[in-house]
Amino acid sequence: MAKYSLMVFKKDCMGCHACEVACKQEHGLGVGPRFVRVLENGPDFFPIYCHHCANAPCQRACPVDAISRNTDGIVLIDRELCIGCKECLPACPFGAMQFDDDSDSAVKCDLCIDRLNAGLAPACSSVCATQCIAWGSTRTLSDRAVGEAVRGKL
Amino acid sequence: MAEFVHSNAQREIEAYGYDGVVKSHCRMCHGGCGVLVYTRAGKVAKIAGDPDCPINHGTLCSKGLASAQLAYHPDRLTYPVKRIGPKASGQWQRISWDEALDTIAGRINAYKERFGAESVVLGYGTGRENEAAIYRFANLLGSPNVLTAGHFCYGPRIATSIITCGTNPIVDYAADPKCIMVWGNNLVISNPDCYKGEPFSVSLNKGAKLIAVDPRLTRIAARADVWLPLRPGTDAALAYGMLNVIVNEELYDRDFVENHVYGWKPFVERVNEYPLDRVEAITWVSREKIRAAARLFAATKPAAIQWGVAIEQQINCADNDRLLMFLMGLTGNIDVPGGQMLFPPPRIRNVGYFGAHRMLSDAQREKRLGGKRFRLAGNFAIINPKCVWDAILEEKPYPVKMLFFISSNPVLTRANAREVYRALQKVDFMAVSDFFITPTAELADIVLPAATWLEMDYIGDFWKRHGYILPRRKIIQVGECRSDHEMLNDLAHRVGQGAHWWDDFEKALDWILEPLGITWQEFKKMDYIRGEVRPRKYKEKGFSTPTRKFELWSTLLETWGYDPLPQYREPPESPVSTPELLASFPYILITGARSPGFFHTENRQVPWLRELHRDPMVQIHPETARKEGIQEGDWVVIESPRGKVRQRAQLFEGMDPRIVAAQHAWWFPEKKDPGHGWDESNINILTDNAYTNCDPAMGATHIRSLLCRIYPERQTHEAEGIG
Repeated sequence: MAKYSLMVFKKDCMGCHACEVACKQEHGLGVGPRFVRVLENGPDFFPIYCHHCANAPCQRACPVDAISRNTDGIVLIDRELCIGCKECLPACPFGAMQFDDDSDSAVKCDLCIDRLNAGLAPACSSVCATQCIAWGSTRTLSDRAVGEAVRGKL
Repeated sequence: MAEFVHSNAQREIEAYGYDGVVKSHCRMCHGGCGVLVYTRAGKVAKIAGDPDCPINHGTLCSKGLASAQLAYHPDRLTYPVKRIGPKASGQWQRISWDEALDTIAGRINAYKERFGAESVVLGYGTGRENEAAIYRFANLLGSPNVLTAGHFCYGPRIATSIITCGTNPIVDYAADPKCIMVWGNNLVISNPDCYKGEPFSVSLNKGAKLIAVDPRLTRIAARADVWLPLRPGTDAALAYGMLNVIVNEELYDRDFVENHVYGWKPFVERVNEYPLDRVEAITWVSREKIRAAARLFAATKPAAIQWGVAIEQQINCADNDRLLMFLMGLTGNIDVPGGQMLFPPPRIRNVGYFGAHRMLSDAQREKRLGGKRFRLAGNFAIINPKCVWDAILEEKPYPVKMLFFISSNPVLTRANAREVYRALQKVDFMAVSDFFITPTAELADIVLPAATWLEMDYIGDFWKRHGYILPRRKIIQVGECRSDHEMLNDLAHRVGQGAHWWDDFEKALDWILEPLGITWQEFKKMDYIRGEVRPRKYKEKGFSTPTRKFELWSTLLETWGYDPLPQYREPPESPVSTPELLASFPYILITGARSPGFFHTENRQVPWLRELHRDPMVQIHPETARKEGIQEGDWVVIESPRGKVRQRAQLFEGMDPRIVAAQHAWWFPEKKDPGHGWDESNINILTDNAYTNCDPAMGATHIRSLLCRIYPERQTHEAEGIG
């Protein structure tokens, strides 16, 4: 069970897309794959992520078991095993699974696992001007969410 | 797992094997955010926000993050070129810097000799931190004509604040305003001068009340306690409505009004010409909302107005600025912590000094284009752009023979784009400094390769009024690119004004810092310097105005023959002023809503940023779209009495169905012909720059609201699209 979470406080998202570009820079992505996507609907913006599901549809869809979930709850793709069949893309209900044409591999948010291992927060969270992408202990974030709801702010 | 930090340079370097990190100061917009630039093998490897920077606290926007894609872009101009075919034929020959600058210098001196220095016009677009150097060069040359955006962007805030209260009042987010009124900007995705989205967001999340004045339901408006969706261009009337409530309900700061204000009685008379029923009819905003906003703003302390350029690109530019300052002052929020502070800069040789304005002779100043017509602008060395086009096309009042545009793309960004294009085609000689060969540069004779912020040393934010200066440290060199400051320093020697410049530009930076007793090399080791912050200076010293008071009645405007009190003028092209146009052009077109990945015409070719905004989008209300047979994503034609362009429809409910909102500054670098699609989606094809449509004091061109019609593009007439 993950002790840390990435939590999005939707009311604070201002649609600046800095998270998208920070993520691309961090993962060396070109045009095309977007690990975080900020969707827009009228005046509302919402960053959509991989949910690192406990019972991940992408994992079930993969014919070569290239997708697994580690002990911290992060769902990861083994790029060596991926055969580029793209079965996982439509499997994800959030559209989080992306495809990198350069490497012919499925790619997605890995919660910046390399940064986590170095004690650094995910790239998206580190640039967010409103801190609407909050990274921290699940308990602290839940307290914040509940607190804001109680104060009528959510 | 260990405790997480958002940014830790040492750990980043260890984890990723970077060679090192340099702190610097981004300038993808006007600049201001502190950044950490990690390098590997001499190249930029990663850019992150600097958590130690008091301006952005480690956050960073999409543009800052994508800066390396700009610096290393394969299409970037990395050496000087001269044109060898006709204008806009796209034929260029590489030349040396010596040939480029000697040619430009030769032309400058020849035109000066034969037609007077006034025939040479230097210009810049929005602020790229090269303004002081450009003014210095022009003033020493003797040219009174520097074409900027200052007639309708930030320049008016400087001019009107100086005549009202001495300097530009800046929102003091660090001390947490309890009520913020966002008027005419969307700072979380844009760059109002001296402001960033992060401090605003922090204050908001600490519980500040929020009022939004915007015709569109932006994210800020959606979160606001009160949203005032005003009819575009009616800001002055709305401000007067709020002031009417504050005056008549006696919500103003008595002490401030009784002791520190000039012109109260005539001001009250004028305010009473704007009762709420009149204001409601003009602005489309209900009197209940106006009252609620006025009471909330006046009663919550401290309160601040987050203002921006949309109120200045209008015929009431100067009066809009003044009225907002009156709201700040009369509620007792001027020069108070958490309100609107008058921050002094550190004791340096400031931009006014560096700009050498005193070196321009009176005789030459008298020749300033439009100076007699737009007298507030003229007194602040600002000119209206149409004066330059007329001087080229009509040669009146005298011919302008040469243009030197530095960081400017006027065929995209200036009103009445076709007139601009004709002027640039006709002008005898034009030099341009830019990152790429833009549609404007395609009409030039010589194009110089400009350095990005990663490639220069400079004193960042030295022109702003928030009191900070920060070092921008050069990290890489790309091709033969040079910063505009170094280029102008070099050129200055070649035209013969070298005695007033330096051997190298670092010495200029030393000169700016000298009153502080430090050199550039010493400043480079610091994070920043800030001027001393002291609130309520007016209690001891008054305001730096002729009466030493906060001038509601402007004595300077009176001297220059203007109405000393603000007034509301109807927008020049509107349902009220030009109803005869409504039959053919039934919608109010508003222009210029910002896109977070772009900065005016910049970044259309930067891959990560263009991906965020693929096509030019025009927002249309679903009811209007239905009426006009337009569906989401359709390419549509937007047409005004001046012309038409195409943009893609985005259905948006968050505005009055009578309003259509188009984007500005669109060109298409991927179109390799020398036109680069400059007139396909360029909203300035539709705007008007007639003098009668401009603010009488500042010469601000009214481009923010006009009339249009809109319809789907027909298949048979479809222009070549980009898919």
